[in-house]
This record gives sequence, structure tokens and C-alpha cells, in this order.
Amino acid sequence: MIALDPRYAWLRRLLVFTTLLAIWEAAGRADLLNPLYAPNPSQIGSALVELFGDGRIWPHLEATFSAALGGLVLGILVGIALGVIAAMVPVIAELIEPVMTLLNAIPRVILAPLFVIWLGIGLASKVALAFILVAVLIFFTVFTGIRQVDRRLVERIITLGGDRRALVRHVYLPSVAAWVLGNLKIAVGFAFTGACVGEFVAASRGLGYLLSFAQSTYNAALMMALILLILVVVLIIFSLAGRLEKRLLRWN
Amino acid sequence: MSLVGPSGSGKSSLLRAVIGLQEPLGGMVEAGVARANIGILFQDDALLPWKSARENVALGLVFSGSERQRALDIADTWLERLGLTGFGDRYPRHLSGGQRKRVALAQVLAMRPKLILMDEPFASLDAIVRARIVKDVVALVEREKISVLLVTHDLEEALSLSDVVYLLSQGPRAHITKRYPVPIPRPRDPVRARTHPAFAPLYEKLWADLLREVGREHPAEAA
Repeated sequence: MIALDPRYAWLRRLLVFTTLLAIWEAAGRADLLNPLYAPNPSQIGSALVELFGDGRIWPHLEATFSAALGGLVLGILVGIALGVIAAMVPVIAELIEPVMTLLNAIPRVILAPLFVIWLGIGLASKVALAFILVAVLIFFTVFTGIRQVDRRLVERIITLGGDRRALVRHVYLPSVAAWVLGNLKIAVGFAFTGACVGEFVAASRGLGYLLSFAQSTYNAALMMALILLILVVVLIIFSLAGRLEKRLLRWN
Repeated sequence: MSLVGPSGSGKSSLLRAVIGLQEPLGGMVEAGVARANIGILFQDDALLPWKSARENVALGLVFSGSERQRALDIADTWLERLGLTGFGDRYPRHLSGGQRKRVALAQVLAMRPKLILMDEPFASLDAIVRARIVKDVVALVEREKISVLLVTHDLEEALSLSDVVYLLSQGPRAHITKRYPVPIPRPRDPVRARTHPAFAPLYEKLWADLLREVGREHPAEAA
């Protein structure tokens, strides 16, 4: 077997990928594929160009971004707060934990129609959906994390003369930060899921709304262009989250 | 001084009671020094993974009211004394087991304790690393005139390091059954101490007594 040089892995992947695209395109042009289901890559490309060309994509991108990031930030803050409170006050844990377990067990996107009724078809219902997806995830991260904090570190701080404040600052806070950062990418994915599904259900703007529009007009090229776009957007945010994680967890 | 004894005789619990991590079930702990002057070294090094070596060492000093920069300077001095010059900015994850042990030692020593409690502190290290650290510890402890209460399973370690070895009986309700003064002079080289004429007879006696203690509960293991 030939040893593969790992440095050129991206090159090999690109090569295979473009070859597949070329075969796809050729098959399309030879009328082997029904463009209604599988539009040519060039058609998808021009749909993308069109979206950006006349600038009509921007308000949609903005809507999805606002919903996802709003839900993400709110979800992380509330998730941390609830997790910390539940871990410290047993009575609260007794009340919150079953609710969270339930919310964790169901596919939370089923709440989308409810949020539309409560909050309307505007931004708020999408933020709410992204929020509930993220908050439950972060709650469990923090709640179980605090309860499993390394006892040896706690004892070390105590024997070095540290008080409660020192414990919070030097053991609990960094631990919580590490767990939350470790789940940041998953949370980003959840936030965009929430935003897009929310727009899919009922909206007047957003990538999810465009997707459902593409579906209702049987526009497969637009649909695939949008999927591609969402993919790129999430990848960019993933790499930002990854960078943040690496920077803040450089001790790891 | 060392404590040896069968597993479950409460050696670790005793140390934890002395430092205040655990309430004694009855009676009182009298250490003869203030709580603030006691340091403890566990088997695992338990350094904060998100703090660099020097920050870890400085931690106790900051808790006792030192200004941060000053604490870091003192930390550097202790890291230097333990042979870790240039490793101060590394995180525990990027240090070897022996280096982490040295950082944990520096952390305790920087507090200038009068008494250090050690709970099998060297058990997880390989023989060579262990011998070198033990040697450095003995030198530092002798120079700084620090008392050490060492809990160990290793009788050789107990005898080569201590002035007195106490044997605890089999638990529950363990108590000190015997006291063995070790007449090897100080300053001591822990490796050479083993060739001192007093060492071998003491070792055999201690071993026999320990076996008898274990045998009381588990006849099979003593055979």
C-alpha cells in the first residue's frame, strides 16, 4: 500500500470532490438526471450567485443570525444560572431536574408551533426555540459538572487555606467554563437548528423561511444553494468557537 | 516520623483529621502547631490544571494574604530550589509525573510549614524519579527544620526517612502498637541509610510485627 502524506489530505479530498461534481454536472447535461430533483451543480451555483447578486439574501441571513445568536447567548446564560443554582440548592434541583430531563428527552423542536402562537411569527419565537434547545444542554453540562467537580482540587484549595470564595474562583468557575466551552460547538449547532426550524414553521424572513419557500415552489436548486449556505455559515461559526475554545482551554 | 500499618488501619484518616478535612470520631487532635503551619501532600498531586506551575505554587501564598506579584516571585524561588527553573509557565498537563510532584512540593513548602503531612506522596512515581525526589525532600526538610508525618506502605521508605516509626494495628479501632526509634544519624542520605548497620535488624523486626498485625485479621495473608 502507498503511504499517504497527511499534509496533502485536503488536496486529495478536493480532487475527489471536484471529480464527483464534474460527474454530476456531466450526468445532468447528458439528461441522465431530472433537474427537478437533482439540479446541476452549475445551477445550484448560479442560484447562490443570484441570492447574493441582488442582495436579497442579506435580510434573511441577518434574521437567522440574530435568532441563533440571541438564543445561543440567552441559552448559555440561563443554562449556567439554572445549573449553578440547582447544583447549590437541593430544593431547586428537585424541582428543575425532572422538568429539564423531560425537556431533554423530547425533541424540543416540537415546541416551535407553540412559540409561534405565543410570540408571533417574528424574531421572538425563533430566539425562543434556539434558546430552549441551548439552555437545556447547558443546564445539564453545568449541573452535572458542578456535582462532579474534582474533590481532590477542592481539598487542595482548603488545605492551602482557601475560603469559599477561593473555591468558587479557582475551582468551580474554571471547571464550569471548561465544560461550557467543551459544549460550545454543540450549542452553536443547536442554536442554528432552533432558528432555522422556527423559520421553517412560520416566518417572513430567514434562511429557514427561504428553504420552505423553495420547497413550496419546487425549486431544488435554491434549496440546495441554501443548504450549502447554512453549512458554510455554521462551519465559520464552528471555527470561531473552536478558536475560542483553544485559546481559553490552552492549559488542556 | 512515619506511620505504617495494614490497609484500613486509618493512616490516611489520621492525616485528614490533623489537617481538618475530616472530623475525628472521638477525641482531639493536637498537632502542637497552628493549622496554618501545617502542609499536606497527597499521593496525587491535585494541581489546578488551568493554572501554570508558578501560579499553582503561589496559590497558598495569595490565600494567606500575599500580594500576587510577590507570591509569584516566591513561587519562582521554590520552583528553582526544586530544580524546576524554566518550567514555571508550563501547565500541569505539560509536566511529567515527577515534575508535577515537585510543583506540589513547592506549593506546600512555599507556605513555610512547620509540619508537613505526607500521605504516600511518592507511591505513584517510578523508582528512579522517586529516589531523586525523596533525596531532595530530605535535604530541604532537614535544612528548613520541618517536621514530617509520613504515611506509607513502604517499610524501607519509612525507616530510611524517619527518626521514629509508629506501627498502627489492624483496623477497625486501630491504635499505635509499637514505636521504633531509628538511630541513623542526620543529615541523612536516604539511599545510604539503607546500608546503615541498624537498618536491616529494624526492618526485619518491623516487617515481622506488621505481618503479625495483618495476620490477626487475615491468617491466610500472613502465611
